[in-house]
Amino acid sequence: MAPTLPSGDQASDQDNWDNGRLARKRQLLTEIVLRNRLTALVVDGDTTCRVLEQLLLRSYEVQTQGVDNGRDAVALIASGVKFNLIIIDMILPVLNGLEATRQIRDMGVHCKMLGVTACSGESERQAFLAAGVDVFIEKPLDPEHLVPILRELDGQ
Amino acid sequence: MDGYGMQNQIACIRRSLFDQGYLDEQFIQLEELQDDANPNFVQEIVTLFYTDSTRLIQNIELTLNSRPINFSKLDDYMHQFKGSSSSIGAKKVTSECAVFRQYCAAGNAEACIRNFQHIKQEHAILRKKLEFYFQMMGQAAVAQTR
Repeated sequence: MAPTLPSGDQASDQDNWDNGRLARKRQLLTEIVLRNRLTALVVDGDTTCRVLEQLLLRSYEVQTQGVDNGRDAVALIASGVKFNLIIIDMILPVLNGLEATRQIRDMGVHCKMLGVTACSGESERQAFLAAGVDVFIEKPLDPEHLVPILRELDGQ
Repeated sequence: MDGYGMQNQIACIRRSLFDQGYLDEQFIQLEELQDDANPNFVQEIVTLFYTDSTRLIQNIELTLNSRPINFSKLDDYMHQFKGSSSSIGAKKVTSECAVFRQYCAAGNAEACIRNFQHIKQEHAILRKKLEFYFQMMGQAAVAQTR
C-alpha cells in the first residue's frame, strides 16, 4: 500500500516515491555478477556503435571481440573461434547481417545471436529472426535488454 | 565563479539538454560507463561520433546530388547514421533520421533533400551544445584542482 502523504506535498512526494521505485526496479534489472567467463563477438560497421556495445559488455566482464563487416565475422567463426554471444547489425559492409547470420547458423553454430539494429520495421524484424538471430533489438543496446540475456547465458 | 556556482551551472546545462529534447536516456548510459579509468569517456565517444558522422553526412550529400538517386545506398547510410546517433542519445537527430528513412523508402527525393537539411541542423546544434557542456566541465575540473 502506498504511504499516506500530507496533501500539500502529495504530488512531489508521490513522484519521488515512484521515481525511487522505478530506479530500484531498474537497478535490479541491470545489476549482475557473472559466475562464468562469457565471450561475445560484436559485428557492427559503425565504429561508435561497435565501441559502445563492446564497452557495455566489458562493463559486465564479458570478453569481447569486434569486427566491422559480415565477411570477417563469418571468417572468424569459420576459423573455429567460439563465442557465447554474437551481437550483429542487419546492415553491414561487404556481407550484410542477414546473410552473415545465415552462414553462421549453416556452420552449425548454436550460440545466442542478438540482432541489434537501427531498423525498426516489423518486416525487418521478421527477416532477421528468420535468418537466425534469437532476439531482435532496436538500437541502442541497453542493459535492460542485455542483462537478462547475460543471466541466461551464465545459468543464473 | 566559484566551484559550487560552476557545478550548478553545469547541472543546469545538462538538464536543459534533456528537457529540450536534444538528449535522451542513452546519454546517461554513456555517463554510467565513464569511470576513473576512463574519465573523459563521454567526450571521447561524442568526438568519435562527430568524426564518423561528418563523413557519413558527406557521403549522404554526394548520394543525394547524384542522378538517379540510389535510394538503397541512401538508406544504408542513414541506417548507420540513425544507429550511431541513437547510441549516443542524440534524440532529435535520431528522430529526423527515422523520418528520412520513411521518405527514402517511399522514393521521395524532394522530401529526403528537405529533411536532410533538418538533420544537418540538429547535428550541428547538438555539437555546439555538447562542446560548450564539455568545455564547462573541463573548466570545473581545472578549478577543482586549484
